[in-house]
Amino acid sequence: MKTVLATLLALIIAIGGGAASVWFLLEEAPAADGLNIGPWIAYPSLGTRDADPYSRARFVRRGGVPMGQAEGIVFTARTDSNQQTLVSGCTYRLDGPMPVARFWTLHAVDNSGRPLPEFEGRPAALQAMQVQREADNSFTITASSQAHPGNWLAITRPGPYQLLLTLLDTPISTGAAVEEIRLPTITRVSCDV
Amino acid sequence: MFRLLYAFLVGIIGAGIVHIAIIFLLPANASNDAWSRIAAIAEPYQPVLLENVEPSVLPASQRNPFLRAVACRFDLEDGPLRVSAREAVPFWSMSLYDRSGLNVFSISDRAAPGNVPDLLVLTSKQLSELRTEMPETFDQSLFVETDVTQGMIVLRVLVPDESYVRQVGRALGAISCKPI
Repeated sequence: MKTVLATLLALIIAIGGGAASVWFLLEEAPAADGLNIGPWIAYPSLGTRDADPYSRARFVRRGGVPMGQAEGIVFTARTDSNQQTLVSGCTYRLDGPMPVARFWTLHAVDNSGRPLPEFEGRPAALQAMQVQREADNSFTITASSQAHPGNWLAITRPGPYQLLLTLLDTPISTGAAVEEIRLPTITRVSCDV
Repeated sequence: MFRLLYAFLVGIIGAGIVHIAIIFLLPANASNDAWSRIAAIAEPYQPVLLENVEPSVLPASQRNPFLRAVACRFDLEDGPLRVSAREAVPFWSMSLYDRSGLNVFSISDRAAPGNVPDLLVLTSKQLSELRTEMPETFDQSLFVETDVTQGMIVLRVLVPDESYVRQVGRALGAISCKPI
């Protein structure tokens, strides 16, 4: 009887522990192959033959057709530069520089990745040709639920959100030095009380 | 007491084995890779616009309001694949995915001679056969040599603003994806 109980215990720990640790690493833990730059993170090897087994398993569960390295790279920001979660009740300022790329787009999504709804025909998205620039070619983008002059990214849905920065045809994704990549900072300007 | 500790230790080691086994077996047993998902909704060589598809084909996080994408499955046993549009687009890029949905090759229009997407996907054997008598119709084509026989291409096109919606829509609607 004792042997049966001990075997049963060992089996439960083995199967339960093995499955739970896989689930935790795939769903909860941060991915090891991420490219972190300030608040931004990207996964250049996701869905390629170079990906590590965990990245491969994660990709199998999510699926899709991620961009290839010669096409571009997508950076995601869940927080501002001070590691505070992005929420629609606050106003954020994004300050350049933007890395070398043929084109870039910036859009806001909810936590499941769906683009935020439009605000009076204005999508929660901006692209390189739309932004107004200063004399020295720099620019500032304001992400807020309230209208702002200049480059305004309209945040329409209450709650937390994420910013997706897509760089098209950029040397970053094809292996430029990581230390040299500069992405915009995200600064919290004010919050509704 | 000793027996309990022993069972606990065996359990931990077993958990490690189970963990590694799941991680390595997951990709082999998956059926929701992009190739299979597209195969479920479209025939080979049938271009599929990736905007009204289920999130299982293209997760929401991979959608971009400024990009439109079209996918097309192929089998190089039928001959080299030609993907071409008739109209110029502001920016295009292409990725090649193998049978299990892994991205094996990508290219942007920087490498192409014109703004009109025009690609020829072939194996090295087909390329050397074609080289001996290169037809003039391919002098604007971008050659993509690959070891993948059954696979899928995804062509992404930039729509910078509303003034391009019609032009890009026409170009994507008339995209041709055929073996030659």
